[in-house]
Amino acid sequence: MATVEKELAKNTTKQKGPITYDLVLIGASPANLTLAHRLCDLMALKPEMHLSVAILEKSEEFGGHIVSGAVVNKKIFDKAFPNHIEDGMPIESICEESSFALLGRKKKFDVPSAITRALLPDFCKEGYYVLTLSNVVAWMAETLQAKAATVPNLDIDMYNGFPATEIRYENDKISAVKVSNTGVDLEDYVHGDLFCFADKGFLSKDIIKKFELADNPQIWSVGVKETWRLRSDAPYLKGKVWHTLGFPTLDGTLGGGFVYGLDHNRVTIGQVISLDSKNPNIHPQKQLQELKKHPWLQNILRDGELLHYGAAVLPEGGPASLPKAFQVDGALLMGDALGLLDVKALAGVDKAMESGYIGAEVVFESFSKRDFSKEQLSKYQKKLLASPFMDKYKANRYFRQAFIKNPDLLEKYLPIFVDGFDKGGFLWGGLKAFLANPIGLTVQTFSALIHLNAPNEINDEVRYMPGYEHIDPNFTKEMIARNQSDEKYQKTTIYSREDAVFYAQTKYEVHPEHIDEFSAETCLKCIKTYEAKGLDVPCVSDCTAEVHRLDIRDGGVKVHGMSLENCVQCRTCELICPEQNLRVNAAYSAGGPNFKGL
Amino acid sequence: MANKDLNIYVLVKQVPDTRSKAGVNPDGTIDRAKAGKMLNPFDAYAMQAALSAKRMGGPGSKVTAVSMGPPPAIDILYQALEHGVDKTCLLSDRKLAASDTLATSYALAKTLEYLFKSDGKPDLVFCGLQTTDGDTAQVGPEICERLDLTQVTYVEGFEIKDNLIHARKIIEGGAMEVEAKLPALMTIANSYNKLEFKTFRGAKFVQGLKRNEQLQKEYVKIIDLATVEADDMLCGLAGSPTIVSATWKIGTVGGNCTMHQGKSVEDMVTEVFETENSVIKELSKV
Repeated sequence: MATVEKELAKNTTKQKGPITYDLVLIGASPANLTLAHRLCDLMALKPEMHLSVAILEKSEEFGGHIVSGAVVNKKIFDKAFPNHIEDGMPIESICEESSFALLGRKKKFDVPSAITRALLPDFCKEGYYVLTLSNVVAWMAETLQAKAATVPNLDIDMYNGFPATEIRYENDKISAVKVSNTGVDLEDYVHGDLFCFADKGFLSKDIIKKFELADNPQIWSVGVKETWRLRSDAPYLKGKVWHTLGFPTLDGTLGGGFVYGLDHNRVTIGQVISLDSKNPNIHPQKQLQELKKHPWLQNILRDGELLHYGAAVLPEGGPASLPKAFQVDGALLMGDALGLLDVKALAGVDKAMESGYIGAEVVFESFSKRDFSKEQLSKYQKKLLASPFMDKYKANRYFRQAFIKNPDLLEKYLPIFVDGFDKGGFLWGGLKAFLANPIGLTVQTFSALIHLNAPNEINDEVRYMPGYEHIDPNFTKEMIARNQSDEKYQKTTIYSREDAVFYAQTKYEVHPEHIDEFSAETCLKCIKTYEAKGLDVPCVSDCTAEVHRLDIRDGGVKVHGMSLENCVQCRTCELICPEQNLRVNAAYSAGGPNFKGL
Repeated sequence: MANKDLNIYVLVKQVPDTRSKAGVNPDGTIDRAKAGKMLNPFDAYAMQAALSAKRMGGPGSKVTAVSMGPPPAIDILYQALEHGVDKTCLLSDRKLAASDTLATSYALAKTLEYLFKSDGKPDLVFCGLQTTDGDTAQVGPEICERLDLTQVTYVEGFEIKDNLIHARKIIEGGAMEVEAKLPALMTIANSYNKLEFKTFRGAKFVQGLKRNEQLQKEYVKIIDLATVEADDMLCGLAGSPTIVSATWKIGTVGGNCTMHQGKSVEDMVTEVFETENSVIKELSKV
């Protein structure tokens, strides 16, 4: 102890002793920032109570590690930020026309809106906000500072560049999180009475594991996304929204693309691919490039300019993967830490913000009573589950099950349909798929439709396997569908992975060490397995940012290596590592990508 | 023999942000009001040196950051506090405008003398090698002469043992190991260690400081020329023998430069070829 005190005295002569806050928010996400905003309102009503709050954000700037679609339900902003228009929230556009499109290798078929409305009403996004979420988060952080200054009994300290990387427990209650790595214990841990985790699983997964909160594992998908500035005479896209199915994800994996028209002649294009795939080599970034080679998108992107590239994982499990409890002693889980994404509607931001809004009320009550037990905090779970924002999320709970139960739809019939569609049109594709197995297709389609639009409980327990367990080293199908269009694509619209990383603006001032590889032996075995089959190792192929590589050592032995300075911290490698031999942590000292503008 | 408690000062300056676009005045000088602002990158090394020296000294060692500039320069003092500096002081006075290095070193030397009276005699004073806006590298040595301290320049590494400095300084074609007595002034080269990331406690302290005016006054002392008892005639324009007789544009350097970046080598080569007036195109015709 004497040495610690001595060290401390050397390092700072200011306030000594442990660093302590009442409330610690992990991650400046829409959920936590909504919570903080709401807490300002609530605290203003009770001037006799005092609270200190720390918001920990791993990126250099607020919003710097946020990447999302995003088409968001306007209602949540009306509720949580009633003055968001006057306060200048950055809105790209308001969706005027929303389409669901089937993509062949050459052709595109916009499903008539009447059919979309009847069968897939969740994809009708008219009236929704099209947002660049990183900018919105930066706006939330900026307005929060101004708002907190008007509430003298609430001190909100905002820490950019400080991740939470480790949890410290005291008698099974969370007592502190580690925020830096100076080696001096007193300087590295932030203590608190209550913690709110709204991370993408970096740390919340440890809580879920420790307290055995998950009956069903979370299943994840990876989203890769680019923002483009279009040439001046490009089609006018502001306010237009497309969601696509089909090309280029034709390997049997659930996946789809999106194209959102933004303000100032910009467009954002992305591809979301589930990680519970048999395919060991998904190549998410390459799939996005294939998508961009489609004649429809070439017409849009030709002579355009790439502005940003980014990638992130999305929790797709839905209600079935929700933890048993949303709270433990001294902590709440919110947003992506819970997995509030409704994958059928591709909407999670509104529910994440609602979790923050409701969380604030429960946090406020807990501090009023000075009670941070899970019993007191369980009101959060009850209130959140009863929220109207969660209705669709709950109704769409069988979406993933629809495709898990009926795998042939994506594995067998979709590629046949796409082939036929390219040759003879939509009906021809449909007919070919039908003729391939009339009974099978009918039964599976019918079963899927029941799951997709299930109004009531189906007597069918949802069971997931984590993504890495699905990977099949004997996979032989076409890994990525290639564009076979006669029209040539413009080469300058296509970027290799190493070139794309440039547009994620990754920067690590301190030598990064944030991905743990537990055993080099395990990696060697894994490399041998996949090399023998002529396949790439999953972490190498599926990395979104040119981090994982194979190094050839003396004697021709291939070993796993990492170029961590490229890492965009998407966590895909951790989720698909067949041996679960990797762990991605948040990097210290503000290292990472800069997703501002995505 | 362990080192005694060290009283350390570090001089820092706010300069136009090299990443932002600054306007140019009609007379050819930088429009400082328009430009973004940042801590002089050279001073970041000096600050790191000061914080390292603090760790070498006894447990009562402290670092005071001193700056001269208009009121917005307070931002770099907050930044210094975030990194673990103990106290800061800003000399701000309208009469300081248009100071050259002689006037600047006079004003800063007076400020330091004033601080030595209240905060204790110095053991070490650190300066950056130069600034990115003035680029003279004169102010540090000038201050040193005025304060009559031991002077070690171009330092890229140092240790303090038995209250003696063992420093490695850059010289033309190599490096020189020197030993110097305290108190000393060192200018730190940009081959010294990079400034470490801000500390959590420092960041916490600054956010609390911004909410508390009382504390602000204590930790960010703002003083003017009268306080440090400086002679106005030796400061600012009046005290600056340097006369800028004229500035003129020497034309555009390097012709048209197009940056090709972020694409594959193949695409970039194609781009270069396709560029009009491309040198390669011209050459290929020959």
